[in-house]
Amino acid sequence: MSKGYDEYEQNYEYDDYGGHTGDPNMDEYNRTHFKMPEGVKNFLVYFRNNVNESLVFELQALYEHTWPKLTEDYFDKRPWPEESEVAAIVDNDHVFMILYKELYYRHIYARIQGGPTIEQRFNSFFNYCDLFNYILSAEEPVPLELPDLWLWELIDEFVYQFQSFAQYRARLQSKKPQELETLNSNNKVWNVLCVLNVLHSLVDKSNIKQQLEVYASGGDPESVSGEFGGHSLYKMLGYFSLVGLLRLHSLLGDYYQAIKVLENIEVHKKSQYAHIPACQISTSYYVGFAYMMMRRYADAIRTFSSILLYIQRTKQLFASKTYQHDQINKQTDQMYNLLAICLVLHPQCVDESIQQTLREKSYHEKMYKMQYGDLQEFENCFVFACPKFLSPYPPAIDSVPGDYSKEAIQHQTGVFMDEVAQQKTLPTIRSYLKLYTTLPLSKLATFMSQSGKTEGKRDLDKEMQSLIIHLLCFKHKMKNVVWSKGASGLEGKFQSGSELDFYIDNDMIHIADTKVAHRYGDFFIRKILKFEDLNRKLHQLKP
Amino acid sequence: MAEAMKQTVASMLKGIERYNPDNLPTLERYVEIQSRENAYDLEANLAVLKLYQFNPHSFNISVTCQILLKALTNLPHTDFILCKCLLYEKQLSQEPINQIVYLADILEQCDFQVFWTRIHTLPDLTQSITGFVDSIRKFICHVVGITYQTIEHSHLAQLLGDVDDSTLKLWIKKYGWKEMGNLVFISNQDENIKTKNINEKIDFDSVGAIMASCR
Repeated sequence: MSKGYDEYEQNYEYDDYGGHTGDPNMDEYNRTHFKMPEGVKNFLVYFRNNVNESLVFELQALYEHTWPKLTEDYFDKRPWPEESEVAAIVDNDHVFMILYKELYYRHIYARIQGGPTIEQRFNSFFNYCDLFNYILSAEEPVPLELPDLWLWELIDEFVYQFQSFAQYRARLQSKKPQELETLNSNNKVWNVLCVLNVLHSLVDKSNIKQQLEVYASGGDPESVSGEFGGHSLYKMLGYFSLVGLLRLHSLLGDYYQAIKVLENIEVHKKSQYAHIPACQISTSYYVGFAYMMMRRYADAIRTFSSILLYIQRTKQLFASKTYQHDQINKQTDQMYNLLAICLVLHPQCVDESIQQTLREKSYHEKMYKMQYGDLQEFENCFVFACPKFLSPYPPAIDSVPGDYSKEAIQHQTGVFMDEVAQQKTLPTIRSYLKLYTTLPLSKLATFMSQSGKTEGKRDLDKEMQSLIIHLLCFKHKMKNVVWSKGASGLEGKFQSGSELDFYIDNDMIHIADTKVAHRYGDFFIRKILKFEDLNRKLHQLKP
Repeated sequence: MAEAMKQTVASMLKGIERYNPDNLPTLERYVEIQSRENAYDLEANLAVLKLYQFNPHSFNISVTCQILLKALTNLPHTDFILCKCLLYEKQLSQEPINQIVYLADILEQCDFQVFWTRIHTLPDLTQSITGFVDSIRKFICHVVGITYQTIEHSHLAQLLGDVDDSTLKLWIKKYGWKEMGNLVFISNQDENIKTKNINEKIDFDSVGAIMASCR
């Protein structure tokens, strides 16, 4: 907890602030006559002074602990104090007010029931414009330093609010004519080009691409950082904007650009830029997803398992920060679902502790169903785990009122399900091949026709023909581009990384399987350690 | 021509320039050049589809068809999926885009015979794409190359679209395969496709900790 916190906590005055009355009119009354608690007042002044003096360490505590604490105490279900009230306390400090409003709107998006109003959405957008104008149009680097976590959440929130707006905008059925008119006459607000422009400008201003390139080749990024990029604020905003672009491209179904924008970033590697867990996790989620869509299963599996292992190991670290925790839990669950999909389509060995989690009931059941060709299960898993896709533009002005917000997600689901349908017979073939080291084509054709529902006279020739098509398809789908080295995640070579492989020698199939020896050692080591631990605890119990 | 344009176009794809609709005519011309000269630039083509996504009124169906057909020529890469993800569902169901989507689907399923039958009924569709049919044959050879050690001569000819003997010989030569009677030897697969054994390895650290507590 920050040391400054005690100073303003002394003046706690709960009575200033009643709860909700349940009556909207009364609440409105309370709101206008709401007196800001002294504790909040002191906090804001203290907060502002720390911003002005760039005390990053203290700001981190205020941002990460005090703000959420005060939110919980006073503003659980209502907005933070209005701009005008706060401005009076902090001497109309321009920069601080922009930052305050960013937090103010973020809180409305996250916590206020019914979500932000049109005005609030617009004003939040204009506030972002003010913030980025201040940072980007300065002649020299602005004297502002903020904790990296804050910068990450700022960029992430900016993209999130765009996403939220696009979805809100596409739900025509619930809009009044007047609302539609406001929206149509303000089509520059939350425009996709504007969002792209901000992120690209932050990337360019910070020379982050050049810095990453030099860093990747072992050089000193400072040597190319330029006037702005040397400052932590610009450098980190630049880096986080790359991740923001990754997310934005993914939301628009542009997987090629999504991966490309991360050139010179090795997702799994520790680096001086990769120290915000939420950012790392988000990056891996979108990268893994893009790989999955590009049928680069080996790369997707590598990306997901590596970050999921990291989450398993560091879980305690962010367990205390609730608001991040929820987000991370959700994304973790989504990634296990995606990993399950990938492993069904492309079986391969993954780390034992990841395997352990996938054996848990909910995932195990899903994987079982998918293996048996349950297309609906594939779709359910996909829809649960995919990003909330967007159409870049609102429906045309003359569109029939309706809900257009699901169109993009349906389309991406459709593309993925086409792929799954093409691979539908592969699991069955795989399950037969697993039993043999060599198998005549004709014998497998007989097996396959028994598992299908052919009636009447069998036509072996026809069955052979369709089997060969499936086998060709098997080989084609299991041979994919896999990254091994190089600056761009798009690079790679064709490999077959799945655990079962085969080739056809005229009319005989030769099968190569991966045999994993049982892991006794690991099991015993864990049990011995557990026993030792228990023993130690028992000894401590002695009086 | 395509080579010369590559540089100009590359500068149009940098940063925010990629979304500048003024670049569309140049990029569309570049697509046509690729079709004519049997060149290929996925990134530029995706940028065109991106501009259509952002400016639906500029949507050009003929250019889109060329981009999709060009994506098929780059199989086994998944370019076609990337293109599909950038188009709207409504656009994909339009004639003749839906025909191309169908072709892609059967190619992805490796049902080559159906593909050849279908392509003969659609002579106009792929006419503008120089070298289209041979590009597909290249893909088929790729699939054959990773699947077979030896394959029947007649089956190979059939997969490649019932090609005559001299054409077949050219493809066999191109990939360094060998004719052996009525079989064609593709390559020695058992060198690459082998059963893998993963044995358990216990590292020193984990045993060390146990040994220490055994004292």
